[in-house]
Amino acid sequence: MSQSPASLPFIDGLRDAAGLRLPGSGLAWLDAARRENLEAFIAAGLPDTRTEAWKYTALRALGQRRFALGDAAAASHSIDTHALKLPGVDGPRLVFVNGVFRADLSRLETLPPGLTLQPLSQALESDPEPLRFALSRHYRETGDAFARLNAALAGDGTVLRVAAGARIAKPVHICFVGTAAQGDVAWHVRNVIELGEGAKLDLIEHHLSSAPHKHLGTLASDIVLQNGAQLQHVLLQNAGEDSSLIRRGSLHLGARSQAALHVLELGGALVRHDLHAELRGDEARLDTRGVFVLRGRQHIDTQLSIRHQALNTASESIWRGVADERSRGVFRGAIVVAEGADGADASLSNKNLLLSALAEIDTKPELEIYADEVKAAHGATVGQLDERALFYLRSRGLPQAEARALLTAAFCRAVFATLPNETLRDHFSDALLAHLP
Amino acid sequence: MTIESRTAETDRPAVLRDNAEVAAALGRRYDAGFVTDIETDSLPPGLSEDIVRQLSALKGEPEWMTEWRLKAYRHWLTMPAPHWAKLNIGAIDFQAISYYASPKNRPKSLDEVDPKLLETYDKLGVPLHERAKLAGVAVDAVFDSVSVGTTFRKELAEAGVIFCSMSEAIKEHPELVQKYLGSVVPVGDNYFAALNSAVFSDGSFVFIPKGVRCPMELSTYFRINAGHTGQFERTLIIAEEGAYVSYLEGCTAPMRDENQLHAAVVELVALEQANIKYSTVQNWYPGDEEGRGGIYNFVTKRGDCRGDDSKISWTQVETGSAITWKYPSCVLRGDRSVGEFYSVALTHHRQQADTGTKMIHIGKGTKSKIVSKGISAGRSSNSYRGLVKVEKGAEGARNYTQCDSLLIGKKCGAHTFPYMEVKNPSAIIEHEATTSKISDDQLFYCLSRGISEEDAVSMIVDGFCKQVFRELPMEFAVEAKKLLEVSLEGAVG
Repeated sequence: MSQSPASLPFIDGLRDAAGLRLPGSGLAWLDAARRENLEAFIAAGLPDTRTEAWKYTALRALGQRRFALGDAAAASHSIDTHALKLPGVDGPRLVFVNGVFRADLSRLETLPPGLTLQPLSQALESDPEPLRFALSRHYRETGDAFARLNAALAGDGTVLRVAAGARIAKPVHICFVGTAAQGDVAWHVRNVIELGEGAKLDLIEHHLSSAPHKHLGTLASDIVLQNGAQLQHVLLQNAGEDSSLIRRGSLHLGARSQAALHVLELGGALVRHDLHAELRGDEARLDTRGVFVLRGRQHIDTQLSIRHQALNTASESIWRGVADERSRGVFRGAIVVAEGADGADASLSNKNLLLSALAEIDTKPELEIYADEVKAAHGATVGQLDERALFYLRSRGLPQAEARALLTAAFCRAVFATLPNETLRDHFSDALLAHLP
Repeated sequence: MTIESRTAETDRPAVLRDNAEVAAALGRRYDAGFVTDIETDSLPPGLSEDIVRQLSALKGEPEWMTEWRLKAYRHWLTMPAPHWAKLNIGAIDFQAISYYASPKNRPKSLDEVDPKLLETYDKLGVPLHERAKLAGVAVDAVFDSVSVGTTFRKELAEAGVIFCSMSEAIKEHPELVQKYLGSVVPVGDNYFAALNSAVFSDGSFVFIPKGVRCPMELSTYFRINAGHTGQFERTLIIAEEGAYVSYLEGCTAPMRDENQLHAAVVELVALEQANIKYSTVQNWYPGDEEGRGGIYNFVTKRGDCRGDDSKISWTQVETGSAITWKYPSCVLRGDRSVGEFYSVALTHHRQQADTGTKMIHIGKGTKSKIVSKGISAGRSSNSYRGLVKVEKGAEGARNYTQCDSLLIGKKCGAHTFPYMEVKNPSAIIEHEATTSKISDDQLFYCLSRGISEEDAVSMIVDGFCKQVFRELPMEFAVEAKKLLEVSLEGAVG
C-alpha cells in the first residue's frame, strides 16, 4: 500500500520528467527503460511504513516536498578543491556537484594501465552498448521505489572498469559534493563498476557538503567482481546536515573474489543505505564494517542483504550505531544461505549505543537458511556507555563530555581496525570525534 | 536436578533399544491417529450473524455475551486476512467449517462420561479418573468443544481457586468474565483473534484469588475429534495479587485428511506480585509426508503483567500441526515485572512454523528472557519471529534473547527474524542467534560407541533442547522428549 501518489508534491514535481533530455536520450533501449521505470515509480509512489523494507523509515515528510529536476547551474558552482582532499588518498578523482560531473575539479589525466574511468554522461555519448545490461534493469520490489526513480532519471555517474589481472595501486576517489542551488534539487547518479578476473582496486566514495542545502540525492551502484578480483571499498558519508541521501548498492562476487566494505556515516538528515550483495562464485568472501553516529534529528537506515549462493562462501559483518539527541538509527542485516550453498560461514554483529532519552534504535538481524552444511550466527545489542568506565575516566579528571566522547569513539573504532590505509583510518577517527556532540 | 536424572533413567532403554525395534518404530504411524465414534451435535457449516446467535443460544449465554460475539464478528468482516508471515497457506473457506460440535450424551459427572471417550484419553495417556489423583493433576478435558469432565474441583474450591470451563464461567462468574475477557487480547486485535471472539466454543477459565498458591498444577487436554470442525478455544487465566499458578496445556488430534483450523485465544492477567507459568505441548496432526492434511494452528496468546513485580512465563514445545503461527507474548506493564519465553519448535516433512514471542517493556526495571530452539528436518520451514520493544518509560529494561536453529537435511529452511525497537537509553537489549547442522564430530562419537544414528540424533537433539525442557513440569518433559523422538523418525539417512 502506498500514499495516493498523484496528490503528493514529490510526485507532482516529476510531471515534466518524461520530457527531460538526459545524457543518452535518443538511445531506444535507454529511453524505454527510463520511461518504464518512471511510470512504475509514479504509479506506486513512495513506500509507506507498511512496506517491510521501510517499516522504520517514514517518507511522509519527503513526499510533501517538491524538488527541482536537477540543478542547471551545477557546472558553475565554485567549490574549494582543498575540501575534496582526503589524507592518504592521491589517485584519480571524479567529482560530481549536485549530481553533475565536473571535469575542472576531477583528476583523470594520468590513469594507470588497466583502469578505465569516465563519467557516465560521456560513456553514454561515446560507447553506450556495454552499459545496456546494467541500465535496462527493472525493479519490481515494492521497497525499491528509489531504484526505479534512479533508473528513470540518472544521467551521470561513474563508469569504472579494471582489466583482468590489473592491480591498481592508488585508490580511485569519487566525490559527491552537495552545494546550495536555486531551490531544492533532486539529483540521481548511477555507478557501473566492474573488476575483471584477478583485478584489484581500492575505491573511495566520499559524500560532502560545500554550502548548506536541502537536496535529495539518489545513488545506485552496480559492482561486479569477476573471479579472483579484490575490492576495498571505503565510504565516508559526510553529506550536508539537511540533505537526504538514498544509496543502493548491488554487489556481485565471483569465485574466489573478495570484497571489503568500510562505512562511516556521519551526515545527512535522512539517509538510507541498501546493500544487496550476492556471493555467486565458490569461495567468495565479503567483509562489511560500518558505523553510524547520529545527533540532532538525523535518521539513518542501513539495510544489508547478503546472499550466499555458492560453495564455501564467507561473510563477516560488524556494524555499530550511536544515536544521541533526537535521532533515530535503523539497522537491518539479513543473511540468506540459499539451497545448496554448503560450507557457508556467515556472521553478523550489530551493536548500538543509545545515548539520549529521545533517541531510538531499531535493529533487526535476520537469518534465512536453506542449506545444512552451514555456520551462521548473528548478534545484536542495544545499550549505553558503561557507567563504571565513565566514572573511571571522570575520576582521572576528564570532563563528562570528553569522557563520553572518548568511550563512544572507542566503541566505534573496532569497525575501522581492518582498514588497511592507516592515514585514512586516522582521518576516520578524527572525523568521528569531530562529529560527536 | 533429581527430577531430571529420573527422567533420563526411565528413558535410557528407549534410547538404546535394538535395531529391530528401531525398524518397527520407523514404520510407526501417527500414534494419536484414531477417531472416536460418538454422535456429535453440530451446527451446520457456515458463518453468519445467525450462526453466531445460534451458537450463543445453544450454549445458553446471557445477552451481553451474544452482543460481545456479534461485535467481534462484525469487526472480523472488515479485516483482511494477514499474509506477512513466512508461511504458505492455502485459502481457508470459513463457510465450510462447522463452528460447533459437542458430544450428544452430556455427562453430569465423570462416571457418566462415555467410556469410549475415556478410552480415547486413555490411549493418549491423559491421567483422568483415579489416575488423575495419582498423578496429582486436575484435568479439565475439552473433547471437541464441550468440557466433559472436571476433577479436583472441590480441592481447588477449598483453596478459593476457580477452575472451570469458559461456558460455566460465563454463567457462574459473569462479573469476572466481563471484567477480564478481551482485556488482554481485544476483540479486534487480529484477524484470527476476532474470529475466535465471535465463535469461540469453550475453553478454560482459571481464577486464583489474592495470595493463593494454586495447590496443584492445572491441566487441560485439547482434542479435535469431529471432521470439518474448527476449534476455537478461549482460555482466560487471572492471578490476583501474590497468587501463583502453573497451567499445562497439551494437544493431540487424530488423523484427518483435510486441513482443520484451530484459532485459539489465550489471555493471562497477572496482578501485583502474581506469577503465572503456562506450558504447552502441541502435537496436533502435522499432515503426511507430502503435506496433505494437518492442522492450521493460528493462535493468539498474550499475557499482561499488570501489577508490579508480576511474572509470566511461557514454555512451549511445538511438534505438530501443518502450519503453526503463534507468538505467546508478554506485556510488561508493571514495574519490575518479568516475562519469559522458552520454546522448542520442531518441523518435519512439509510442516511450516512461524513462531516466536513479543516482549513489550513498559514498566520500569522490567526484564525479559527468550530462549528459542528451532529444529527443521525434511522439507519443512521453521522461522523464529520476535519483537522486543522498549518504550520510553521503561527505565532500566533488560532483555536477553537466544535463538538457535538446528538443520537436519538439505531441503529444509531455518530462519530468524528478530525485531528490536528501543526508545529508552538505560535499556540493555541483547540478541544472539546461531544456525548449524548436527555436528559430524558429535555424531561420529556416538556412532563409534555403537549407538545407532537415529538414537544419536535424538540424543543430540535432546541436548540441544535441554534448556527449554528444564522449564517444563516433569510429566510434560517426558512427553516432550518422546514426541521429539517420534517426530524425528525418518529424518536421518
